[in-house]
Formats: sequence, C-alpha cells, structure tokens
Amino acid sequence: MTTTCPTLLAALPDYDILPGPLWLIVTLHLLTLTLHFVAMNFMLGGIVIVLFGRIENRWQNPVVRRYLKLFPSLMAATVSIGVAPLLFAQLTYGGPVYAASIVSAWLWLLIPLVAMIGYYFLYGSAFAKEGNPRVKVWVSVALLCLLYVSLVYSSVFSMAERPEVQKAVYEGNPSGFALNPNVGDWIWRWLHMVTGAVTVGAFLVGVLGRNDEQVFKAAKRFMLGGLILASVTGVLYLLTLGDHLKPFMKSSGIWTMTVGIVLSLGMLHFFFKKKFWGAGAMIFVSLGAMVLTRHALRLVVLPEAQNPSTPYEGKVVPQWDVFGIFLACFLVALYLVYWMLKTYFTDHEGET
Amino acid sequence: MPYPFWDVMVGYGPLMAAIAVIHVFVSHFAIGGGLYLVVAERSARKAGDEGRLLFVKKLSKFFVLTTVVFGALTGVMIWFIIGLLNPKGTEALIHNFVWAWATEWTFFFVEILAAILYFYGWKRMSAKNHMRIGWIYFWAAWASLVVIVGIITFMLTPGKWLETGNFWDGFLNPTYASSVFFRTGVCILMAGLFALLVAARYEAGDLKTRLVRGNTLWALAGLLIAGACWFWYKASIPDATWLTAKHQLSIAASALERFQWATYLLFALLAVLGLLLARMWNTVFAILLMVVGLYWFGSYEWFRESARKPYVIPGYMYANGMRVGDEAAWRRDGLLSHVDFRTGDDGADLWRYSCRTCHQVDGYNPVKQAFDHTDPGFIAGSILGIHKMKRALDPFPGSEKIRKPMPPFMGSEEEAKILAEWLWERVDQRPMHEAAGLSGPELGAAVYELRCARCHAIDGPDGLRDPLEGESEEDLREFLSDPADGMPALSGDERDQQALLDFILGWYESEKGGE
Ligand code: HEC
Ligand code: HEC
Repeated sequence: MTTTCPTLLAALPDYDILPGPLWLIVTLHLLTLTLHFVAMNFMLGGIVIVLFGRIENRWQNPVVRRYLKLFPSLMAATVSIGVAPLLFAQLTYGGPVYAASIVSAWLWLLIPLVAMIGYYFLYGSAFAKEGNPRVKVWVSVALLCLLYVSLVYSSVFSMAERPEVQKAVYEGNPSGFALNPNVGDWIWRWLHMVTGAVTVGAFLVGVLGRNDEQVFKAAKRFMLGGLILASVTGVLYLLTLGDHLKPFMKSSGIWTMTVGIVLSLGMLHFFFKKKFWGAGAMIFVSLGAMVLTRHALRLVVLPEAQNPSTPYEGKVVPQWDVFGIFLACFLVALYLVYWMLKTYFTDHEGET
Repeated sequence: MPYPFWDVMVGYGPLMAAIAVIHVFVSHFAIGGGLYLVVAERSARKAGDEGRLLFVKKLSKFFVLTTVVFGALTGVMIWFIIGLLNPKGTEALIHNFVWAWATEWTFFFVEILAAILYFYGWKRMSAKNHMRIGWIYFWAAWASLVVIVGIITFMLTPGKWLETGNFWDGFLNPTYASSVFFRTGVCILMAGLFALLVAARYEAGDLKTRLVRGNTLWALAGLLIAGACWFWYKASIPDATWLTAKHQLSIAASALERFQWATYLLFALLAVLGLLLARMWNTVFAILLMVVGLYWFGSYEWFRESARKPYVIPGYMYANGMRVGDEAAWRRDGLLSHVDFRTGDDGADLWRYSCRTCHQVDGYNPVKQAFDHTDPGFIAGSILGIHKMKRALDPFPGSEKIRKPMPPFMGSEEEAKILAEWLWERVDQRPMHEAAGLSGPELGAAVYELRCARCHAIDGPDGLRDPLEGESEEDLREFLSDPADGMPALSGDERDQQALLDFILGWYESEKGGE
C-alpha cells in the first residue's frame, strides 16, 4: 500500500484511531479470550468425555445427566464471552484476521450457523426424557458441529499469521470457499486445541463426578491422555514453524509456555488428589499462559507491517471517559452475575 | 485497502438483508419480551391467575430458546457478515466505538445469564427473586439497546463527529434519542406479536380470549409508542438527509411509503383480529400479524439503510469501503496501487473494489443492460461520471434531480478504461441497430435511451431540449464528441450515432412545422 499525501489527509476526516493504549486493548483481548477458552473447553471436552468415557449405563448416570443439562449454558457462556475477544481482535491484529476470514468467507460465515445447530441439539439433549435413545445421536451431532467450528477457526487464524498464504489462496479463489491449503500449518494446532480442551473439560467432569468412582476415573484418564496428546501435538505444531522457531525460542513465549506446562503438571497432581481449588486455579492460569504464548508466537510470525502497533503509531486517541463507563458497567455486571448465581443456588423457596 | 474482496455469487444487499432482518426482529423481541414476562408474571401472581401464570412459563421457554440461542447467534452472524462485506467500514466503526461495544457486551452477558436463570428458576426460586432476575434481564437488555442504537444511528447521521472525530458527537448524534424510544416501542410491539403466536396454540375458551385481548392491547401500546416517536424521529433527521432520502433516493423513498402504509395495516389488523375477533384467534392470524410486523419493521430498516447510500458513514466512507477523504489521492495514484489483494485480473479487481458491493454484472442490481450495445469508450466515460448519474424518469414529481446513489470512481482514467474493457467483454456487443433490428426514429430513440437517458431527461428544468435548441448537426456532433466532465463522449457504431443525432434534431422539427 502506498502512503497517501499527508497534507491532503490533514484537511479531510481521517479517524482511523486507536481509542486506548495498545497494551490495554491487548490485555482485554487476552483476558476475555482466556475466559472464552475456559467455557469452550468445559463444553467441548465435556462432550468428548460424556460420549467416549468408559461409563456403564452412560445415559442413566446422574453425573452424565447433570452435565447434559449444563451443556446449553456452557454454550451460552462460550458464545457470549467469545464476542469480546472477537471485538478486541479488530484493534489488535484486525487486518490479518479479517483478511483471512474473507479468504474463507463461506466457511467462516457458517460458524455461527453451525454453532446454532449444535446449540439446539444440546438443548434437545438437555430437555430429553431419561432413556431417550436419541440423546446419543444428538450429542454426537453437537460434537461434530463444534469440531467444525474449531477447525475453521484454526485454519483462519493460522492463515491470519501468513499474509503471503492469504494472497496466494485468494488469487486462485476469491469466492470464499478456501481453507488454509497448507494443512500442516494448522492441523497440529487444531488437534492441540481439541486435546487441550479434553484435558480442561476433564476437570469439570471430575468435579461434578467427584463422588462417582467410575466417572472420576474416566475424568482422570481423559485428563492424562488429553495432556499427553496435547503435548505431542503442541510439539509437532512448533516443529512446523520452521524459520520462526528460533526467534520464538528467544521470545517471551518460551517462558509463558514453560509456565503453562509446569502448571498443567501441577494441575494433574492436585486433581488426582481431588484438590479441586488448587487444580482449578492452575488450569486457569495455565490456559492464560497458553493464550499469552499464542500471542507471542503470532508477534514472532507476523511480518512487521502487520504487527498490531505498526499502523497506529501516533494515532492513539484514548477515550478514557467512555472506557470508564465500560469499566463501571463491567464491575456492575460482575456483581450482578455473582448475585444472580448466588441467589439461584441458594434460594429453593419455590420448590415446595 | 488491506482486505481481499469476497466475490460471492449473490448480491451483497440481499445477503446482508437476509441475516439482518431476522436478527433485528428477534433482538427487539428479546428486549420487549423481557418486559412482557415480568409484567405478566407480576399481574398473574397478583391476581392469583394460575392459567395466565402457566402461559408466562410456557412463553419463557420459547423466549429462552429464541433469544438466547437464535438471537445471540444471529447477532454474532451480523458481526461476521459486516466484517466480510465491509471490512473497512467495520474497522472504522470498531476503532471509534469499541468501548461502546464493550459496554454493550457487559449488558449482553448479564442478559443471557438472567434469561437462563429466569427460565430455570420457575420451579426453584421464590417469586420475589424470580421476578428480580426478570427485571435484571429486562434492564440489561434495554441498556444494550441504548448503547447499540448510538452506533446504528451514527451510521445515518454522524452529526458533528465529521468535524471533531469526538466519540460523544458521534454517539449522541441527531437521531439518537428519538431512535431509542422509537425502538423501545418496536420492542414492546414485537413481544406482543410473539405472545400472540404462543397464545394461538391454546384451546378456545375464556382463558384464551383473555390472553389474546391482553396481548393485543400490549402490542397496540407498542405500536402507538413507536408511531408517536416516529414523528419525533422524522423531525430529528437533518433536513438535507431527509430531503435526499425522500426525493433523491428511490429505494429509501419507496421503503418509507411501505413503512407508512404498513403502520396503518398493522394497526387495523390488530384492532380487528385481536380485539373484535379475539374469540376466533388462531395460528393463521398470529402468523399473518407476524409477517405484517416483519414487513413493517423491515421497511423501516430498509429505509434507514438505503437513506445513507452511497455511504456507509455519510460524509466519511462510501458503501464500498473507500474513504471520502482519499478520493483525490486515489484518483491520482490509481486505485489498484492501494489494493493489497490482487488476483492478476485488473479489470475484475477494479470491478470488485469499485462496484461489486452494490452490483452484479448480471443479477442483483445489474449493470449489463446499461452497457449492452455500447462500446468501451462509452462505458469508460460513464464510469468516470458514475456519481453524476441521475434518474431521467422522475418517479417523484416536483423533485428535480433523482440521483443514482453511487460513489465516484476512485481510480485513474487509465483504470476506468481497463474496467470498461472488462465490462464490455461481459455484455452484448452488437450495435443497437443490429440487435434491436430498428432503424430511423425508433433506432434513434432506443440509442438515446441507452446513451443519454440514464443521466438526462429531455424536458424539465434540467432537460436537454433547451440547451440543444438551434444547434446544427455539425455543432451537435462537435459538442458531444468533447463533452463536459463526467459525461461520456459520442462514440461507437456509426449508424447508431447518426440515428441518435437525427433523433435529437427531430425534437425541434415538429415545432418548426407548427410555426
Ligand atoms: C453504493 C452502491 C453503489 C456502487 C459502489 C456503485 N453503484 Fe451503480 N448503482 C447503484 C444504485 C443504487 C443504482 C440505481 C439502481 C436503480 O436505478 O434502481 C445504480 C445504478 C447504476 C447504473 C444504471 C443501471 C440502470 O440500468 O439504470 C449503472 C450503469 C451503474 N450503477 C454502474 C456502476 C459502476 C460501473 C460502478 C463502479 C464503478 C457502480 N455502479 C458502483 C449503487 C452503486
Ligand atoms: C454518465 C452520465 C451522462 C451521460 C450518459 C450523458 N451525459 Fe450529458 N452530461 C453529463 C454531465 C455530468 C454533464 C455536466 C452538467 C451536469 O452536471 O448536469 C452533462 C452535460 C450535458 C449537456 C450540457 C447541458 C447544459 O445544460 O449545458 C448536454 C447538452 C448533454 N449533456 C447531452 C447529452 C447527450 C445528448 C447524451 C447522450 C449522448 C448525454 N448527454 C449523455 C452526464 C451525462
């Protein structure tokens, strides 16, 4: 892109601004993304374990049934938390992400539609009478929907880190039907996300099934297996980085990754001993560390021109008053969420 | 332009409308429905009316399934689609309003949780807490409307923001306040319509009649609020915007007419079917009202969307994502030098970035018929003057110029030629006399229609009759061969040209004969 004459632009409206310091926006982006991942992992991992865990009389098992009832709410949480990181993404590295999503436009646009289908199947399972044989099919369909969503995300976000791939793919096919053709770029990344989700999902299954030996055993198995697979796929993913591997090893990403790994091991330890608070805290921080790693990796891989801060040098126009309103509303929202959940779980007066 | 252009096989307009209309309908229901549920719950509890309480319960299940799932995900879909169809516009909006959106998100979050707990809480919580959660739901949902309306109205009337770039100037823009209340009325109406649908499935009887009458009154109240606020809204639109919409943009003007008569229709249907014939209420009635309601509100949204054509942010950015401020520089440097994603076919790329947002060559809002039987010179000339195209036939008597709402072509003359060649390969290249098998005055009239009438009328204040009066054939040919800026020069097939000149000269012959 050639630069336009500055004197000309000065006279005409140009409000291509960043409405707050980049660090603040990046922080919010990463924080909300972590929360989104927590909810998503509880749902996706939970579905995998409910479907494939070794549980006798699976669909009659009270823990499984409880989890089934929880799925729609986890989906609601995943979607509604997920809106925020998507919003902030436009300010942090919107150029490459939006460009990549246009290259895969149809597949991208189908994401909310497919998620909605999965959502209704989860509701169907939650409302189904005990012993309805179709529940198994419904939950499986929902799983397929979620796998689709995650697959397209992995493809698009991997393409976002490779502007030259976007250009090459777009040149051959501007109609929006393309995935990232270098499957090696993202297949490990995708499997890493899915197996990681199983690990994290196992935590919630374990918490809900702490008094059910069989369920807890399945949760332990899946947590361990998920962690092993996530490590293997994670390493394979790093190996596909090629020339970027070296700079990554020197970036902050290597530290956050180490923290993530250590905490996952710690989580395993606490979880096996049924110390859920410790394990839960470790899961959360370790997920956060992984999100930071992901971010560091992106900064290493993306060319300088696509670096989030480059296009906005000198264009930061903070809107502190509006930010203040956001912050106040956010705190009120947190309080209301707390109050509503507390009330819901403590007030049983209507049950008579 | 750092983004690729999605060359989807359908028109951008219908694609956007299909998703937006559904979402807008459900999202307004999601707000009004919240109010409906708590108010109805309270009054049923107070009256000890078990039948009505059960109705509210049933409605709340339907409500959660439509709003929390369908409403939320179609909302996400809107996010996705605007990013795909207009990444530049989306970028501009998010960069200026991200904190507003973030604020809306906090409400959205509370809203979703409250809806779920309200639904699951029926059998569990005390009546008092249950209704408290209902109220939290409603206020959070309404607050999200209060925020999002700032951004929606900004896209029609950016107000002082254009000069200052200040958040509040854009957010609290001229149509903001009236829109909040207008839409609140719409929300209430929508809730009534949905409740009427649920009520239709009840067995005939006193309870049903009571429900239908109550819900109809509720819907009518919403319609009255919206109707009253509509006048306020209309008055708050700046004159220039309003006059342009009403007199220069045919799409906006016809949407406005549809909206107005649909208001009366909706009112009449509610009064007759819902009040007078309440005993006969059935699913067909309910669906009929839903359809008319959708049509009514869809017309309003269509009006609002088209009234800002050819802009996405009036005065700042065109619908194809080009900034007004960039015009001079882009014309100078060439459009393609600002495009990061090229396919190797320059003509196609120029078409996509300049025109494709609003047109297909042949299909949605087509251009083919305007360029059939012409020549590349004419097409290139038309492209350079595209923003000056007017509608020759005046569908609104009294207005002088009906613009075709198009942004200027933001490329070089050389690029206009490339695009013209590309378009010419996709049209019927036979000259008019050959294709239509015409000759004499009929041929002249047809060529005139094709080559002049898209920008000029013959008669009227702006017509060609007066300025061309008294010109000889020589003068006319000379003038048309080297015309004003923004007008294509006389070109193309010689027989067609001659017939056109004869046709124009023919305007004055009957006058001479009469004298
Ligand atoms: C902002 C949207 C927009 C853009 C961008 C746009 N147009 Fe249009 N165009 C319209 C609308 C709206 C009409 C009026 C259609 C009608 O008359 O019903 C129109 C009408 C036309 C017509 C007349 C069609 C007829 O049969 O009368 C032609 C020719 C045309 N456009 C060509 C172009 C070309 C070439 C470009 C790109 C250089 C372009 N337009 C860009 C919106 C747009
Ligand atoms: C793409 C649009 C376009 C087309 C097609 C077009 N014109 Fe024009 N014409 C213009 C513009 C722009 C002007 C400059 C004055 C204005 O802005 O109204 C103009 C000016 C004129 C004038 C001078 C008017 C005056 O009041 O002085 C005449 C005469 C004229 N055109 C005749 C024609 C004829 C005859 C044709 C068909 C061969 C034609 N035009 C086709 C856009 C067009």
